[in-house]
Amino acid sequence: MSPTEVTDRLTELRADFDRSFAEPARRHDAEHAELLAVHAGGRPYALRLAQAAGVHSDRPVTPLPGPQPALLGVAGFSGAIVPVYDLAALLGHPVPERPRWLVLAAGSPPLALAFHELDGHVRVSAAVIVGEPDGHDGRDVLRGMVPLPGGTRPIVDLPAARAVVHRLTGHTQDVFEER
Amino acid sequence: MSQDPLRYFRIEARELVDQISAGVLDLDQQPGTELVARLLRFAHTLKGAARVVRQQDIADRAHKFEEVLVPHRTDEGPLPADEMRELLRLNDEIEAYVARLEPAAAAAQAAAAATAVAPAEPPELRAESKPEPAPAPKPAPKPVAKKDEPVARATTTDVDDLLDAVGETHARFAPLRTGSTALDRLHRSAESLAYQLRVGRTPGQAEAARSAAVRLAGELGMLGRRLTDTVEQVERELDEVRGRAERLRLVAASSIFTALHRAVRDAADAQGKRIRFEGRGGDLRMDPQVLALANGALLHVVRNAVVHGIEDDEVRAAAGKPAEGHVVVEIQRRGRYAAFLCTDDGRGFDLAAVRRTAEARGLLMPGGTEPDQQTLVDLVLRGGISTSPTVTEVAGRGIGLDVARDVADQLGGDVGVRTEAGGGTTIELVLPLALLSLHGLVVEAAGTVATVPLDSVRTCVRLLPEQATAAAVTGKMAHDGEAVPFLPLARALYAGTTVPEGGGPGVAVIVEADGEAVAVGVDRLAGTSTLVLRPLPALAPAAAVIGGVSMDLDGNPRLVLDAQGLVAETARLGHGGAAPLEAARRLPILVVDDSLTTRMLERSILESAGYEVEVAASGEEGLEKARSRDFCLFLTDIDMPGIDGFTFVSETRADPELAGVPAILVSSRASAEDRARGAAAGASAYVVKGEFNQEELLAHIRRLVPS
Repeated sequence: MSPTEVTDRLTELRADFDRSFAEPARRHDAEHAELLAVHAGGRPYALRLAQAAGVHSDRPVTPLPGPQPALLGVAGFSGAIVPVYDLAALLGHPVPERPRWLVLAAGSPPLALAFHELDGHVRVSAAVIVGEPDGHDGRDVLRGMVPLPGGTRPIVDLPAARAVVHRLTGHTQDVFEER
Repeated sequence: MSQDPLRYFRIEARELVDQISAGVLDLDQQPGTELVARLLRFAHTLKGAARVVRQQDIADRAHKFEEVLVPHRTDEGPLPADEMRELLRLNDEIEAYVARLEPAAAAAQAAAAATAVAPAEPPELRAESKPEPAPAPKPAPKPVAKKDEPVARATTTDVDDLLDAVGETHARFAPLRTGSTALDRLHRSAESLAYQLRVGRTPGQAEAARSAAVRLAGELGMLGRRLTDTVEQVERELDEVRGRAERLRLVAASSIFTALHRAVRDAADAQGKRIRFEGRGGDLRMDPQVLALANGALLHVVRNAVVHGIEDDEVRAAAGKPAEGHVVVEIQRRGRYAAFLCTDDGRGFDLAAVRRTAEARGLLMPGGTEPDQQTLVDLVLRGGISTSPTVTEVAGRGIGLDVARDVADQLGGDVGVRTEAGGGTTIELVLPLALLSLHGLVVEAAGTVATVPLDSVRTCVRLLPEQATAAAVTGKMAHDGEAVPFLPLARALYAGTTVPEGGGPGVAVIVEADGEAVAVGVDRLAGTSTLVLRPLPALAPAAAVIGGVSMDLDGNPRLVLDAQGLVAETARLGHGGAAPLEAARRLPILVVDDSLTTRMLERSILESAGYEVEVAASGEEGLEKARSRDFCLFLTDIDMPGIDGFTFVSETRADPELAGVPAILVSSRASAEDRARGAAAGASAYVVKGEFNQEELLAHIRRLVPS
């Protein structure tokens, strides 16, 4: 960085700082949604932070041989053993590369979904989210879309993803009580 | 607190009472002077200790206990029945008094009296605050109820082992302490070197600085290696400490034997029968909560065995059985489950009577197809049908099995019955173990670390590279004069995916389960450790070779292998792990269900398990498909528009072409009536959707469709 660049940057930051006082205080309310912009299996998606119980990177995942190809293995989270599923595989486009990010889905039993890249954390007005209350069928884990810089991203609904995992594993609650 | 005069007495009295309780029952079964002498010693010790802490009630009973026994010091024969009863009565009283000394019990009494009793107050005061002043506890009707809760009580050996492990870890820290001195010295050397470099101008000084730097680098390297070694050792030791500490939470299964023995003895006494009780497999350590629930159910089951199982003397004599009945409670570990088996050598279930009752109540069609033994036993288990014409106060019939079934349902376990008319009955209660302490052999294969329970390891054999190759190619290796199937662990762990390149098996671990042995090929052994086995989480189905997981020191899960699973996997792969997995040439399964979700779910479960599947969306379509080609099994829903599942099953049973194909009903209806209706229609199994569990379903299928 040349000295002029530094000076310019500094001026910009100062202006931003001053402007932040001029603007009305932002409120965390229902009109906004906190999203994580992620990549899974090479495709861009968004996750609702409110549906997550935590995000972790580079957690050792112990592979578990078994019938579910989407199950990457189990990981330890403060004494609990949590199954880790590959989000890309659940969305139907698995890649051989092992994902390095984990998002813990809220709710029980414990469940973590793995994705490949974390692009960033964004806060958007709820109004810009294209609603889609139900997926196309029970298997669809995508609910709605959000326009973000770089393009519109489908939103991964974590409760719907959880329901898919429950169905895959024959876990009873939710699956059979629907009927 | 430190002045609590009862602090040590409580512990001592509890241990003595345990020994006296077990001893009295042993004496009842196997009289002998040695046992009398031992009991006298315990009672005498208790009397002395009780007097010191002014527990006169306990001392008095211990004294009476001694008086009963003294005349039998030199007497090899059994005690008269009334004296035996008196000993048991005194034993119960002592036990009740000792139980009252427990801080929790004392606090409850204090709360009842609405006065806070400081633990340091003299015990007499506390005795006075009791609502009922020292009533003689009645032996009947529930003499053993207070024993329902086995508590985690560490044995001296366990604590000693833990202390040893802590001591060992502590010792491993010594190099770290000397290491910090060495580090100080190196720090000074580095400072002096920096000084030399700053002031040194002459070639000689530069040379000196250079050699000082070389020396410093060497010493730093050595210190670094030593630190790495030490940290590794400390980690291993801490792992051991953790395992041993977790073990203290668990209880030896044998702790329930005394209460069960007593229940058998009391029931036998009330019935005028002579019965010998035996407890086996008490070394298994498990979660006190699971053990408490099992104990509660087993108390009923053993009483049932005495009252309904064991025949009267005359009947036994006529059947050529020994006059003394035999009740055995055996505890076995089966992977991540504990099996509690209660076996009696009595008359067995009267299945004909069960059938008559079931028919009278409309649970079975009179004159229908001959129900097999399992169907009838299931009716007893689920339908509350008694196998005895009379219900006594000791054992309300059906209740014992109901309690066992409730416990099993509550914990996700299972109850089974094996019975033979005239030959006795075995009730089997299988419960999942939330926590189980194991000694494990740590192995490595293709970069994965796993643990094999040490109790299933027969031995380990080093493999030369050519032996390993031969074993992998033939799927067998010679061991102890026999050919043992060989399973490379990496193949089982990476089933369906590529096995990462590794050195290949260097050691064969001979694992044994259910009398069968397999040689498991691993890259290397990495020592043994004490670990606590945890079940796999709910959403993580795994291959049968995985018995559960344990946590390593960093809190990461580590796989624990299951001996039965390893044997089964070897058998499944055929000829050890060597032969490539052949697609089983099996007939497809027909799934009939009007719900798309259920059809797809069942299809995915069955296909993942290697079955070919066809689906039908209605009973009509199902019948049409069933007649169009061969199937190995029908899996059908009950509630469907048009032809329902019951009709589908009975129609296929009526068709001679299809009658041989087993049918399983899957339904959200859970009532005993529906189950009975399903069985009557000819269904081979009934799976309730609310309890739907893919393992259960697959187990039924594996049973009905031999591969």
